[in-house]
Amino acid sequence: MMQAQGFETDFWKDANVRKVWDEIIPGVPRKTLPYLLTKEAIQLYCRSVGEDHPLYFDEAYAKASPYKGLIAPPSIHILLMFSCTPTDDWMRTPGTVNAGQSWSYNIPARPGDTITLQARALDKFIKRERLFVVHDNVFFNQHGDVICSGRGQTIRPM
Amino acid sequence: MTTNFETLNAGDTIDGPDFAVSRESIRLFCDGSLDYNPLHLDDDYMKNSFGKTNFGGIIMHGMNNFGLITRMLTDWAYPAGAIHRRLETRWVKPVKPGDTIRPVGIIKAKQVTQKSRWVLIDVLVKNQNDEKVATGEAMVEFPIAA
Repeated sequence: MMQAQGFETDFWKDANVRKVWDEIIPGVPRKTLPYLLTKEAIQLYCRSVGEDHPLYFDEAYAKASPYKGLIAPPSIHILLMFSCTPTDDWMRTPGTVNAGQSWSYNIPARPGDTITLQARALDKFIKRERLFVVHDNVFFNQHGDVICSGRGQTIRPM
Repeated sequence: MTTNFETLNAGDTIDGPDFAVSRESIRLFCDGSLDYNPLHLDDDYMKNSFGKTNFGGIIMHGMNNFGLITRMLTDWAYPAGAIHRRLETRWVKPVKPGDTIRPVGIIKAKQVTQKSRWVLIDVLVKNQNDEKVATGEAMVEFPIAA
């Protein structure tokens, strides 16, 4: 898959250097990476959830629309979360279970955007013998505009 | 019929698309999202228990539900000139290869603010046995025409 080129798909690799729940400090920024979002990456993501809207695929349609060009669907942050973080980021830890998400959308991401992420754990707690981390994330485009912001909870592997 | 803020009522529904979940669809979501967590790939790993939970095999990404709900909301909002502004979700039940899931939205309320108009929507995703697999709330903005 083109998108995965240069991306380490074996999440066991570097697993031993990733922070475990005990080491995650709420408030400390996570290391992040700028990411060039391509049309191909957007369209592969779209196909994986059955998105077929012409705003994502048809340049002429998108140009004539109020968006004045191709855009990515709002949920593109699902891809951006992994493309904007390095292999030693704890979101990749095998067995990380997503326990819920909330996202707010400002402007769409577009093909050709260079996306940056500001992210941190905001809180951590133990509930019914499970180890939770609350994270907050904000994605920006190359102009410094907020694309979307979100909060998620994961259950950390024991 | 195009959706219109004035004529929307609490209780109106938004029908989402059926989505057939298979090992291939889960693998494609790995490639599309770059989320290669072994929860979604590795049957041997999934023989383990996670705390008190044993899934008994690979499971679909929770965020695949999120992407499917988003697809339903934007397909509904775009023709009306409306903008999908917020989605909050919780996962209720794991989804496995062989399941068919379908999101639905139910209009909960309308709110006019100083500068815009908003529709609040309860969302849920059900599987082929009519079991809830995900629930949440969404907010769609219907801007006042300039």
